Amino acid sequence: TGRIERPRGVAISKASFYLPDRPFVCFDGSATISFEKVNDDYCDCTDASDEPGTSACPNGSFHCTNAGHKPQYIPSSRVNDGICDCCDGTDEYDSDAQCTNYCKELGKKAREEAERQRQLLEEGRKVYLDYAVRGKESVKEKQERLEQLRAEKDEAERRKNELEGVKKEAEVPETEAKEQHKKAWEEEKARLQSNQENERSDNAFKILDTNNDGVVSVEEMQEHSEFDIDTDGTVSVEEAKEYLEDSEQVDYETFHGKVWPNIKEIYTKEKEKQEAQEEELAKGDTEQPPEPTVAPDTTTPPPEEPVTTPTPTAQPPEVDPLLEPEEDLHHNYDDDEEDRYNEDEDDDDDDEEEKEEDKKAEVEPPSSASDTDDKMPEYDENTKGLIELADKAREDFNEADRKFRDIESEISKLESLLDIDFGGETEFYPLYGECFEMTDREYTYKLCPFDKATQRSKNGGSETSLGKWSHWDGPDGNKYSVMKFEKGQNCWNGPDRSVKVNVNCGKENQLLTATEPNKCEYEFQFVTPTACSQVPSPADESHDEL
Amino acid sequence: VDRSNFKTCDQSSFCRRQRATPEGRNVYVVVMSSLHVEPSSLSMQLLNLDTKERLQMELSGLRGNMVRLKINEVNPLSKRYEPPIGDVLVKEPEKDNLHMMLSSSSSVSVALGDTTVVVNANPFRIDFIMDKEPVMSVNAKGLLNIEHLREKSHFRVNKEEPAGEEEPAGEEGADKEEENGEKEQKEPEKTEEEKATDDQDRDLWEETFKTHTDSKPKGPSSVGLDVSFPGFEHVYGLPEHADSLLLKSTKSTDPYRLYNLDVFEYELNSPMALYGSVPVLIAHSEKRTLGMFWMNVAETWIDIRSVIADKTMFSKLVDFVKGDSDIPQIDTHWFSESGIIDVMFLLGPKPNNVFQQYAKLTGTTALPPLFAIAYHQSRWNYNDEEDVASVVAGYDEHDIPLDVLWLDIEHTDGKRYFTWDAHKFPNSVDMINKVAAKGRKMVTIIDPHIKKDDNYFVHKEATEKGHYVKNKDGSDYEGWCWPGSSGWLDFLNPEVRQFWANKLQPDEYVGSTLDLYTWNDMNEPSVFNGPEITMHKDAVHFGGWEHRDVHNMYGTYLHRSTFEGQLQRSDNQKRPFVLSRAFFAGSQRYGAVWTGDNTGEWTHLKIALPMLMTLNLVGITLSGADVGGFFKNPEPELLTRWYQAAAYQPFFRAHAHLDTRRREPWLLPAEHLRAVREAVRTRYSLLPYWYTLFYNAESTGSPIMKPLWVDFPAEKDTFAIEDEHLVGSALLVHPVTDAGVAGVNVYLPGTDQVWYSVDTYEKFTGGRQHYIAVNLEKIPVFQRGGFIIPRKMRIRRAAILAKNDPYTLVVTLDRKGRARGDLYIDDYQTFDYRQGAYIHKEFILEDSQLTSKSLNPSQSGFVTKSWLERVIVAGVTTKPTSIKLTGNSVQPQQLDFTFDPSKQLLTIRKPGINIAEDFVISFQ
Repeated sequence: TGRIERPRGVAISKASFYLPDRPFVCFDGSATISFEKVNDDYCDCTDASDEPGTSACPNGSFHCTNAGHKPQYIPSSRVNDGICDCCDGTDEYDSDAQCTNYCKELGKKAREEAERQRQLLEEGRKVYLDYAVRGKESVKEKQERLEQLRAEKDEAERRKNELEGVKKEAEVPETEAKEQHKKAWEEEKARLQSNQENERSDNAFKILDTNNDGVVSVEEMQEHSEFDIDTDGTVSVEEAKEYLEDSEQVDYETFHGKVWPNIKEIYTKEKEKQEAQEEELAKGDTEQPPEPTVAPDTTTPPPEEPVTTPTPTAQPPEVDPLLEPEEDLHHNYDDDEEDRYNEDEDDDDDDEEEKEEDKKAEVEPPSSASDTDDKMPEYDENTKGLIELADKAREDFNEADRKFRDIESEISKLESLLDIDFGGETEFYPLYGECFEMTDREYTYKLCPFDKATQRSKNGGSETSLGKWSHWDGPDGNKYSVMKFEKGQNCWNGPDRSVKVNVNCGKENQLLTATEPNKCEYEFQFVTPTACSQVPSPADESHDEL
Repeated sequence: VDRSNFKTCDQSSFCRRQRATPEGRNVYVVVMSSLHVEPSSLSMQLLNLDTKERLQMELSGLRGNMVRLKINEVNPLSKRYEPPIGDVLVKEPEKDNLHMMLSSSSSVSVALGDTTVVVNANPFRIDFIMDKEPVMSVNAKGLLNIEHLREKSHFRVNKEEPAGEEEPAGEEGADKEEENGEKEQKEPEKTEEEKATDDQDRDLWEETFKTHTDSKPKGPSSVGLDVSFPGFEHVYGLPEHADSLLLKSTKSTDPYRLYNLDVFEYELNSPMALYGSVPVLIAHSEKRTLGMFWMNVAETWIDIRSVIADKTMFSKLVDFVKGDSDIPQIDTHWFSESGIIDVMFLLGPKPNNVFQQYAKLTGTTALPPLFAIAYHQSRWNYNDEEDVASVVAGYDEHDIPLDVLWLDIEHTDGKRYFTWDAHKFPNSVDMINKVAAKGRKMVTIIDPHIKKDDNYFVHKEATEKGHYVKNKDGSDYEGWCWPGSSGWLDFLNPEVRQFWANKLQPDEYVGSTLDLYTWNDMNEPSVFNGPEITMHKDAVHFGGWEHRDVHNMYGTYLHRSTFEGQLQRSDNQKRPFVLSRAFFAGSQRYGAVWTGDNTGEWTHLKIALPMLMTLNLVGITLSGADVGGFFKNPEPELLTRWYQAAAYQPFFRAHAHLDTRRREPWLLPAEHLRAVREAVRTRYSLLPYWYTLFYNAESTGSPIMKPLWVDFPAEKDTFAIEDEHLVGSALLVHPVTDAGVAGVNVYLPGTDQVWYSVDTYEKFTGGRQHYIAVNLEKIPVFQRGGFIIPRKMRIRRAAILAKNDPYTLVVTLDRKGRARGDLYIDDYQTFDYRQGAYIHKEFILEDSQLTSKSLNPSQSGFVTKSWLERVIVAGVTTKPTSIKLTGNSVQPQQLDFTFDPSKQLLTIRKPGINIAEDFVISFQ
């Protein structure tokens, strides 16, 4: 147990290179110097080996023994700089710093911590092993299911094609019969419409022919303001004649054949207008036009001048051009989280508005496309029979087709699921489909491994996508320590949001923290027993030098 | 930049009117009967022949070879603004006697030292003659133009002069009636010309820009004057502009504008105004250097023309004009919106004389604490205490020194300065103490706009005490800035400055410690919804002055108040450190400035050189540009080159916009990280040299980051160089400011000089250009032969941690085998040095003997543990046989040394003597 003499700052393992009775050779051979020049506070070796205990060499390191704790190398530049870096204080042997040796306490704490870590790993590893088993089983099940589906798919496709043939066959006579029926109806309809037109022409003639003398005269036309072509308030003789084929008057035949087609539109429109007005009067003013559902903006009045590029650091607003100018400014400097919140809210409002409009559209009666209320008469029995047959064939086909598609979509889902890298031992599989949340002062963050990461303001509003599952992004040899989620909602003037998730061993699955070190680039800390794959080392293996 | 937010000359009515003054107008004559002579001054009246208005002019000699010219109205309707003594000028300048040479009815001549000043009576002109040559001429173009203050009701438009000259005072009564009559008659049908005249009329008493109307209660009040520099082709100065080192002719552009403004994403190569103003111009030729300081704190524009001198003008005075060759001349035309004409002519005749003269007037850069010239890391924003801890730890982990960590506006509680965000910074004192435990400091931002929130103590007190700038109607001025609706403290009021200083005391600034320093931003002042993003000109300050009268000084008053607050919190023991964005002449007394919100592009790296050299020329030596650029994300090569350049610039701070990606050095690829680490470490190794430069500059006012011509004033090839610079006199730096280059052309001045590469000690001859190959690792830096630079080669985590470390002297010999240098040491943080507690050594190497001599032998009890570690001598042709050290406290001893004949490099090993001691090292 003899202590080995060695220069300051040298580890026992290197002590044999420093022998007081002979010249010192730099480790890199750059110089040979007398032993007095070792640790004489002047750097002679390019590799710093002659000054292990001083700050003389720019690239050297100093060894502290730290009895009671772990030995440590510190850069030479920290020797005698007035700051205690080694827990035994040996780095400050010639400075104003008053270092105390606290290696024992530190060592005790470190050993306790190591023990805690060991236990954690031990417990966590059990879960990890269990997860790996479950993961493998589940993946196996999925693979089997996939095989099964692939087999079923062929049969389903065959059946679908077969029924498609049947369907097409049944549809040929059906289509023919339906078309025949439709053609007959259209002819009938044309006849009906022509009758109606005559009737209207009759009615108009009767109304216009005020004095019932069998002719419509210029004077009679002048009574009707709709014929005021130049809208000067009176229907002039010329204007009336314009419609009466340049005659003073027209008889019924001429009216029906030549005048009516010309005045039909203008006459009918005027009629409708009058009716509408009457209806309005009857209804009274109880109904108001619908108010927009968006709450009015109640922010303070705008400053004197809306600032476009106000300051070195201000930018145009990220989201809503309707925001007050001062809000804009605010905007850029305040947490942009707030903006995102606003943005989301606005989006919601828009959506709701659209929905309401849709509803309104549904409620309103269909526009009067046809003048006749008459409907096409029912198909005859023969056609009905053909339709029934075709319907059946279609139904059969649709069902077969649906079944085929279901299989296809399940296959594709399974394929992409099985494409995911669930870890070397499939140990991450059990996290698939789970989500983990944590809430800080302003936001609730959600992590759904292999799916997505989101953020939602505590004040409400919708979720903002921070990213979709992309890939494992850990360093070589520790690939499964970092998850990467990418292509989240785009940031104004910036990238798509993304998340880096650091995955560490922990007793339970837990999302610990969420931060945003760069704008729109998030970082989560996630612990899970799944990450406890390491075999715990036996307790108390720290070997002190002394 | 959105140019439409800022006025062109045409949109600024006084600029338009003054610029339109016709050349050769010459309406003024000296009323010789009014001449009054005193030992150090001449005073006289000037008469406007057109209007019969009179001006009072005073010409005085100032100690140190300067002449001051003041011109004011004889009896202005109301007092015109003059900055109080102590605000711009350090004190009332000492006067110097003028020797009467000649006084006749047509002129009067006086002499000050070697300069003759001739006041010509008709037309009024002042010529400065040196060595029988005219070197400066005032009002040679006859552009003297003072808009006399007048009653609004007396105003009428002068039809003969649509450019808007002031109307004759004597004929007012008659004209008024006539005008009223005319107006009534002509109202219905006006010619275009008359409409233009009406516009002019309106701009005299009210002026609208965009949606802002300036009420101009005093009407037109501008002052203008021209100064010509015969024999000169090169003029410098007039910061702040993102433009070349050499001032350009403004014939086809707007004049250079000086009006402190917050310009978003500023443009390069433009005479547009920026954040600060120093109305100082330096004219330089092979023969001499002159300066001119236009002391006016209102909005100012300067036109520059390069012409051929009009020899007939000077023919009576001197002979030189008999020569055949054309003589170049620079004409300058200065005009300010209000105030008086008060100009100091700095008569040189050498560059260093001009710097010293200007320093006598406005003071020098106070010796900064050591950390101020070390490396600073900033970002908008370091989010919380954990973020701060991790960034600081990153520097230690990657072995890059760091002295100061900065917090931008997000650290506050809702942009209420002097407060902390309770969630992000709940234990700020602990945080600062942890950072300070490793010798480091922190800085928080404190801006002059105060959130209008009744629960905010600063606002509450400021309102109660009436400390805000007022609207023209007397109510508190209000505008928009970071916190939303804000008020602006009126720092012109000494009481408000004291109020502010009190706010900085640790008992009021809760959560601060003496290791926390200050950054004053937005102090132009920036008002988001104001005209040109600044304060309304008709806002009212202390003493009833309008903002228009004092605008360019506002930021400096804030800078000063903060500086004084820091002085007070340490009982005047510790040197303050305050960074300001806005500045004016004299700002150097209060701390550092930076070039504001630049952009992470190569062009911005390049422009930082002329911008910082220009600031240095006008006394603002502690200045820098955001490393990496504020806006945008610089690519790794650009960021690396920026660190390498900024490591040789006085104020060395990395900073970035909220929207940029993180860019701490360790986020760079490995080879870039290595280069950045090396750049920062090199800066730290040179801190003894930098600190000594700042010490010397405190007494001399010399620039530190210098254009080459300052040290080589007769070498014309250097006059336009702006892609390289000197640091002190010993180092020449040529940053790499282009992507992917394999080499750069470096001009090394001085045909009789030798220069040594600081990396290889390779020798280069001066007076010519050299192509220097570069790689990513380094930029070309040279040490001039004949100089000795003290360095510390042990790189600690923060500058102060190296305080006991030994020195290396790097000696580069000149052609005659000589060199000299000096080293200044003190406690790096207090004012004790002003009581003599410092060490100042002079090192001289000649005749194979290096002598170290104390320039301050008493040291007033100040001691150092530092010793001499090694001496490196470059340019040694023969190997010495032995080297001997002698000193008072040591036995004479032989020193070990190595000699590299191929590099002619001698390295003397470990003299070991305490650096404070006098010693001799002699070579045999």
